[in-house]
Amino acid sequence: MHDLPQQLANGLILGALYGLVAIGYTMVYGIVQLINFAHGEIVMVGGFGALTAYLALPGGTTLWLALPLMLIAGILVSTLTAVAAERFAYRPLRSAPRLAPLITAIGLSIALQQLVFAFYPDAKKARVFPKIPGDPFEIGSVAIQRSDIFLIIAAPLCMLALGWFVTRTRSGRAMQATSQDPDTAKLMGIDTDRIIVMAFAIGAAFAAVAAVAYGLRSGQVDFRMGFLLGLKAFTAAVLGGIGNIYGAMLGGITLGLAEALATGYIQHLPGMHLFGGGAWKDVWAFVLLIVVLLVRPQGLLGERVADRA
Amino acid sequence: MTTSTTETTPVIALPGRTAALLTGLGAAATAGSALMPWTWTSEYPGDLTFYGSPAGLQWLALTAGLVTLVLLLATQGVPGLRWAAPRRSSNAVLLAAAGAVAVGWFSVISIATDLGGLAHLEPGGWVLAAGSLLALAGSLGLPLDRRTAVPLRILDRRLFLLVPIAPVVWFATHAVPEDKPVAPVLTALAGGLAIATGGVLLVQLGHAANSWLRLGTVNRPLPAPRALPSWVEVALIVVAFAIGLFAITFGIDTEYGELFTGYLLLAASVVASLGRSGLLPRLRALTVKYQTVTTGAAFAAAASFPFTQTSDQYTSVATNILIFATVALGLNIVVGLAGLLDLGYVAFLGVGAYSAALVSGSPASPIHVQFPFWGAVLTGAVVSMVFGVVIGAPTLRLRGDYLAIVTLGFGEIFRITMLNLNGTTGPKITNGSNGIPRIPDLEILGWNLGKPTTIFGFELGRFSNYYLLMLLVTAVVVLVFARVGNSRIGRAWVAIREDETAAEAMGINGFRLKLLAFALGACLAGLAGTVQAHVSYTVTPDQYTFAEALPPNSAFLLAAVILGGMGTISGPLAGATLLFLIPKKLEFLADYQLLAFGIALIVLMRVRPEGLIPNRRRQLEFHEADADIPAQATGDTVALSKAGA
Amino acid sequence: MTALLEVQDLRVSYGKIEAVKGISFTVNQGEVTTLIGTNGAGKTTTLRTLSGLLKPTAGTITFDGQALSTVPAHKIVALGLAHSPEGRHIFPRMTIEENLLLGAFLRNDTDGITKDVERAYGLFPILGERRKQAAGTLSGGEQQMLAMGRALMSRPKLLMLDEPSMGLSPLMMQKIMATIVELRADGTTILLVEQNAQAALSLSDRGYVMETGSIVLQGTGADLLHDESVRKAYLGED
Repeated sequence: MHDLPQQLANGLILGALYGLVAIGYTMVYGIVQLINFAHGEIVMVGGFGALTAYLALPGGTTLWLALPLMLIAGILVSTLTAVAAERFAYRPLRSAPRLAPLITAIGLSIALQQLVFAFYPDAKKARVFPKIPGDPFEIGSVAIQRSDIFLIIAAPLCMLALGWFVTRTRSGRAMQATSQDPDTAKLMGIDTDRIIVMAFAIGAAFAAVAAVAYGLRSGQVDFRMGFLLGLKAFTAAVLGGIGNIYGAMLGGITLGLAEALATGYIQHLPGMHLFGGGAWKDVWAFVLLIVVLLVRPQGLLGERVADRA
Repeated sequence: MTTSTTETTPVIALPGRTAALLTGLGAAATAGSALMPWTWTSEYPGDLTFYGSPAGLQWLALTAGLVTLVLLLATQGVPGLRWAAPRRSSNAVLLAAAGAVAVGWFSVISIATDLGGLAHLEPGGWVLAAGSLLALAGSLGLPLDRRTAVPLRILDRRLFLLVPIAPVVWFATHAVPEDKPVAPVLTALAGGLAIATGGVLLVQLGHAANSWLRLGTVNRPLPAPRALPSWVEVALIVVAFAIGLFAITFGIDTEYGELFTGYLLLAASVVASLGRSGLLPRLRALTVKYQTVTTGAAFAAAASFPFTQTSDQYTSVATNILIFATVALGLNIVVGLAGLLDLGYVAFLGVGAYSAALVSGSPASPIHVQFPFWGAVLTGAVVSMVFGVVIGAPTLRLRGDYLAIVTLGFGEIFRITMLNLNGTTGPKITNGSNGIPRIPDLEILGWNLGKPTTIFGFELGRFSNYYLLMLLVTAVVVLVFARVGNSRIGRAWVAIREDETAAEAMGINGFRLKLLAFALGACLAGLAGTVQAHVSYTVTPDQYTFAEALPPNSAFLLAAVILGGMGTISGPLAGATLLFLIPKKLEFLADYQLLAFGIALIVLMRVRPEGLIPNRRRQLEFHEADADIPAQATGDTVALSKAGA
Repeated sequence: MTALLEVQDLRVSYGKIEAVKGISFTVNQGEVTTLIGTNGAGKTTTLRTLSGLLKPTAGTITFDGQALSTVPAHKIVALGLAHSPEGRHIFPRMTIEENLLLGAFLRNDTDGITKDVERAYGLFPILGERRKQAAGTLSGGEQQMLAMGRALMSRPKLLMLDEPSMGLSPLMMQKIMATIVELRADGTTILLVEQNAQAALSLSDRGYVMETGSIVLQGTGADLLHDESVRKAYLGED
């Protein structure tokens, strides 16, 4: 158990990544009750947007200069994609039966993956993403990769900004109102269409931050990266209580920790020596989801509010 | 709501009977072109140089021309042919002529591009192109059912910004030196913008054409059919199924992509035009009248497929279609009847297949037993059902959306687990990515399905045997679907799907019924899986993914159900057949296959969310505005009638 | 008397079912106008159309000299038309104060807003006592007060109240009706929809009786209150 601090650190970092992506699911779900299945792909296109910016910069640019530009490019690409998807794919279906937009979302997810696969140069295999060079930082017995510093700084900043936005700004209050009662929100003078676009856009911006963090961590982006990441993030959103932004982050961190601990320790449990390690971590993540849903169906921070639907 | 009014007028006004004459001439020329050479070399697939009999695409042109001609004569009231168009709607002729143009021009363009230039066309090709176009132009002069006014829809104006932007980006990207790493990315971006611009313009053009053509439907009730002796009616059903079998066999047996594309174009237009003419609705009425005969004829037609084949090549395709279609039908119980969105359904097929493989006596299986066929089937179905209950029990109590994610997760877990049970990352059970190979052929009552059998003098190969066995499984699933769908349980499912709270208020135990649907669906998929394991010799984890270019996988299964029509039997069967054949036959789509699939899903949900063969109840739901709900009775006893005092 | 709201030949449909079948009525400046009628008469549909939540299929709505039928819901509030919907529809997970502030969403005169919040608390003291409490925890009557207070926060030229007495105790109902009288005295124009015909007509300047989508009777509040057929149909007298 001497490596426990290291495993906890790994779990926290991974969890923050899940949490950032989960925000996108939770915001859109909270307002239009849609599982935006294509959100994982919004992350992916953000990653490729950032990569494109990196490729466009002259050869010797330092990463510290490149990173902000990559981030801007990623956010731009993700946000534009998400807003276009809302406008042309989801909005026309707003009064359609519940299954219809979900199928659209699946179609969108497949189409975005394949667009990158077929048309982004050399994207049939993973493409190399820059990493922050240098040895890991050592804090006590815990080693932290330099590339993870980006996430460690970005994730709390994003959460603080979002928290401030939702509770302190006019648009944030309008967003809350729209999620609680869209028709009445209109009666208050709130342009709910704009609020919905805003929810998609904020989720997409966070997705792009997550994409850059993912690229830095793993040193690559590929057209399929959004699938499992999106699946995990949605799991995190449900774990935390869907519709609740803090829940999304908490769910992400819980999931990340659970994965790290499962990877490190499951094999030491009696009779489980064959079910540990990285190969099984995804399985344990979903087992955790099912257990949480059994015990606390509304999620960790979800409120048991009577369903409007 | 403004109810649109309709009229019956030509799009292009032509004097007297000119329109009919031109259409007939064009249709005859289209059909006649099949008796001439289209090209002078035999290099084009199918060899269209004409040696005394039409070949390949020429058969399609012949059919298209003849269908147009027959429908034209029928709508003109020519005695002896009027059965073909009981509704006398000229729109049927227009649809058929459009099909002729599609087939004809596709053929000509394909020949020209394949062989490199129009010089490769012989007179037959020219006659075809001109004749089909003439038929289409002529049919626009026929009295068509149209709406009186269709306002021109203009797309969001911001989209037209693409028109100036795209060329600017195009030139800008070509200014970037090619050795820069970003250059190829920018080129792709510029290409994408160009395609998007083209798409926007094309859609706008479509809107413009729509407001010019104004095609619509006039309510034309089917006239009562002539009274026929019942043996004639039964014979008609049999003939219809025989033609259906021939058509489907033709599609499965197409040897090259060009012919298959032409076939799809023709099939779509013939089905649409015969539906419009009233022939298909009339046949449908007959099948409703003689349900047992219809079911029998359908299975007889399906069962005779192997006997039409000379080799096993296409029976293997047909067997896989059956497996895919059966699983899709099982999914339709879960999604279509009970309204539960299962995104990991293929995993249940996998559970069945792996269970059967483990007890099949394969040397690679760690369990060294060989169950008899019935034992393996039972094992697969039961294990699958157990998984269904384990997954369903915790999640079905929650809101529907959670089920989607849990089933998706389950699908992934299944695949990952099968990969991990390889002896290094987990217990050695499944051999990981190598799967369980060398699954022996089934032996049922002493009949080894792996060996060719001879029935009525026909020699049936291995796949034919499995095809017949699979057909039996399909029959079981169809039976279960039909019986359960029309029972008390089926109605309860529909009630839950529509409004769970209200259903529970009526005393329906929502959770237990949903679990039943989920477990039943899992069980049927497992059943199909047991046969699949034997058909394909080997089971591997990557046969069971969420989305892949080849079916069956969870996304394609769901698409088959939705494309075909939720809650119906024929819908998923048709949807699965199409979704299996299209990727199989059109391999040139390779890299773009899934892309096209994804885009098709999005477009389909916008235009026809109820699927190709809609359930009547569903159609009401989706097209509330067009449905024939009689207007609410007005003027009921008004207590106070001093209005406007 | 100048007309603040004029509705001409308004028709509204849900799919093929027409819920409002060509009604015309007027709301005069400074008056209380009431629509009464049974369940399903089309009263709520009418209000939802006026505030832009539903689109009319035909007819014109003129509010303060401006045509409304194509204006989206969120812009109608800015024109001075506030709607307190049927069933109250307060935002349950926000505090009372936040609910009130949302009523003033389109205003940016901070001082005026603060003053109006205080005015609402003056009108309904119980709200002032619980200003930091989540609105979902209030009783039905208190929620109704909050909904009315919230609608007033936009300083509307016309206040539309849909069934303010629904599901309330008699005491609470009296309180709500008294508030309406008070608001009228302050010069607020009110369009009231009620099933409780007695209470509504007795404080109205004008009334309209709706039945299955049409207006079947109209007159002053007092006239209608004494009309024999109204008494029979709505006040349970024979």
